[in-house]
Amino acid sequence: MEVLERLLNVTLVIATIRTTAPILLVALGGSFTTKAGIFNIGLEGQMLVGAFFAVIGTIATGSPWLGVLCGIAAALTLALIFALLVVSFKANEVVVGLALNILAGGLTVSLMKAIFGTRGSIFGHGLVGLPALKLPNVKDLGWFGQMISGYTPLVYAAFILVPVLILFYNRTRLGLYIRVVGEKPEAAEALGISITRIRYVSSLLCGLLAGLAGAHLALGYTTMFTENMSSGRGFMAVAILIFSNGDPLKILLGCLLFGFSDALSLRLQTLGISSYLVLAVPYLVALFALFALSYRSRPRVIQETLASMGRALSVKSNTIKPAAATDASKP
Amino acid sequence: MSLAIELKSITKRFGSFVANEDVNLAVESGKIHAIIGENGAGKTTLMNVLFGLLQPDEGEIWIDGEKKVLPNPAAAIAAGIGMVHQHFKLVPSLTVAENVFLGMEIRKGGLIDHAAQIKRTAELSKQFGLQVDPTERVGLLSVGIEQRIEILKVLARGARIIILDEPTAVLTPQESRELFQTLRGFVAQGMTVIFISHHLEEVMEVSDNVSVLRLGKNVASRPTAELTKSDLVQLMVGRLVSFDRLPRVASAGKTVLEVEDLWARDDRRLPALRGVSFGVRAGEIVGIAGVAGNGQTELAEVLSGLRPSSYGAIKLNGRTITGLSAREIRAAGVGHVPGDRLVRGVDRNASISMNLLMGRQDQSPWSTHGIINRSYLLEQTQSLIKRFDIRARGPESTAKSLSGGNIQKIVLAREFTGSADCLLIDQPTRGVDIGAQEQIHGEIMRQRDAGKAILLISVQLDELIRLADRILVMFGGTIMGEIPGDRVDEEEIGMLMAGVVPEPHSNTVGAA
Repeated sequence: MEVLERLLNVTLVIATIRTTAPILLVALGGSFTTKAGIFNIGLEGQMLVGAFFAVIGTIATGSPWLGVLCGIAAALTLALIFALLVVSFKANEVVVGLALNILAGGLTVSLMKAIFGTRGSIFGHGLVGLPALKLPNVKDLGWFGQMISGYTPLVYAAFILVPVLILFYNRTRLGLYIRVVGEKPEAAEALGISITRIRYVSSLLCGLLAGLAGAHLALGYTTMFTENMSSGRGFMAVAILIFSNGDPLKILLGCLLFGFSDALSLRLQTLGISSYLVLAVPYLVALFALFALSYRSRPRVIQETLASMGRALSVKSNTIKPAAATDASKP
Repeated sequence: MSLAIELKSITKRFGSFVANEDVNLAVESGKIHAIIGENGAGKTTLMNVLFGLLQPDEGEIWIDGEKKVLPNPAAAIAAGIGMVHQHFKLVPSLTVAENVFLGMEIRKGGLIDHAAQIKRTAELSKQFGLQVDPTERVGLLSVGIEQRIEILKVLARGARIIILDEPTAVLTPQESRELFQTLRGFVAQGMTVIFISHHLEEVMEVSDNVSVLRLGKNVASRPTAELTKSDLVQLMVGRLVSFDRLPRVASAGKTVLEVEDLWARDDRRLPALRGVSFGVRAGEIVGIAGVAGNGQTELAEVLSGLRPSSYGAIKLNGRTITGLSAREIRAAGVGHVPGDRLVRGVDRNASISMNLLMGRQDQSPWSTHGIINRSYLLEQTQSLIKRFDIRARGPESTAKSLSGGNIQKIVLAREFTGSADCLLIDQPTRGVDIGAQEQIHGEIMRQRDAGKAILLISVQLDELIRLADRILVMFGGTIMGEIPGDRVDEEEIGMLMAGVVPEPHSNTVGAA
């Protein structure tokens, strides 16, 4: 009981919200491309360059807000290259996404070495993070106030974006067209909606949020840049996007689950459980949850294989009449 | 009499191919005007010219007495023309109203005004008698309702002249009848309908005037009442074609295929076959009639080994073949002409010769010691191309470069030249033009006369009447009744297809 109390309390909720925010931002970005029918595996790379250039921009200008803009610009550049290759030149989206991820990893390491002469991490050098926002009058709300106040601005941005995106997809023309282009391109074409233009716009909107996610990672979540600091969040986002089909609400649920298990694993570490095991927890939880949630929508071929295996295993199933067998249905 | 549309000397060429040659067409306003012709006669090209999708090389387009140039569909829509394509372009996850207004959303303060769109859709639906629920998601609706939505889309854009391209190809007879009612409603409100079809009964039933295209030319434009069905066929194909029952001598021999109390489930795991029993004898064509979706597809799949049965027995020449794989069933002597030729009939990307080889690539003389006998294959391909009149550039042309009728002939050529005693033939002439239909029917009859046992599944009643010795009517996964092919009472078949067992001594039709 005591262990549970130490694990589950308001601080865990706060930790969950903190760990959810970066992955939520990048997954919401990926929702644009998913809805537009592009399988964008390049989220990881866009997030990473976003983080790196947010740090560079902050050190160069002294303003974390200008740093955020630099991070967005870098991610947008990567997103533009992605769109150019995938949409205009019809290259394979997985190959392009992977290539850009590798490019982002190599680029940040090389530039870090070139600019700072170090490997590993950048901190100091006048690097300042985004300020935490203290909401007014939250003291009166007790533990709830404690729960909703004191985060860096992009955490709020991530959660506010969920209803904004729901509105966007349901009530705006652009949102509607993105869905149509992804679901039934020939319908879009017949109505004179430019598929190319919509897919470019989606890719760039995705880059915008992925850049924001990276900037948050480097200036809000921490105040530093480390090699490969996105550490698989972009890929987790891809997994969440596949099961959520790009729906903002389902994305939020998926990200909260991931954020919760991430926060929980940090807690477990303090209890002295092997850190290797603990660090695997969020990924394991997410994997199992995603598998369970996508059970129904698994490809038909897997279902058929399982069904035929079941048939082969059940003895003489061929002689059992279906339950609906009634003589009344015969002529 | 005022003309809604007048096409003057329209010529459209694609390279050296002339799709429309000097076509004149006058469409009276407030009338239903049918345009018929075989596949490739230039109907679709002509309509695409009229809808601004294609530019004519010569000729003029006059709409409501004004000369118009239509550089794109938007111009055609602005001129009051709407087109309902054969393939629907609806978005399944959107509602009916969202689909109707897609591309011309009603907005308020920058946001889409769903309430206004739903209201307007309901108004249009009521005004034109096209019953739909504007708030329903399109993915859940039937094909017939999807077509209504496509028509509503056109109406919402203010069309007064509506072109429908093969609108009944995807509909059940009941849905077709409802569509005709709707079209009559349109003309009663002063609108003009152009109706493209190659179903002659429909044209006779619904149209006021008819134009026949053949090889890109308008060979006749007349009031429908002045023409008979056989006149139309003759105009379409340029020669006499009979739709009558093909002559035959009774030649049924021993029972080849025997089906006993067969049960099977469909893809949704619901019972699709509920105790089907029948036999097919050598030298006999047994037809399976029914509205699409009453278990015919599942029956063909179970018999060919593509779908497991849940109960019952299938016997071929007295030997039980239930539960065997598709390959084993073929080897046992069952040939299968699948209902969807592009999915299961041919490999679209493979050559004609490879498609003819498939399934017997390991048999002598097609191959020896695992190596394909090229010269034999080529020789056979050439002779089959000739025998089945497959119109292609050569044995190495890919299947997808051919028309539907010619693809079907490849499937027939393969299945009819094997060693099968029994042939399962599913929708042999779906989407095939009349000339090729006649050839395919001839081939099927030749197989019958050669002593094959043939199970012919078709949703076209006239095809069954023409070919079958006996017709079994399926409804809800059961066989409702059997009718001899030479004494077909269309009313009786119609009732059986609807699931009603006709009572011999009563004039009242009770509900099923």
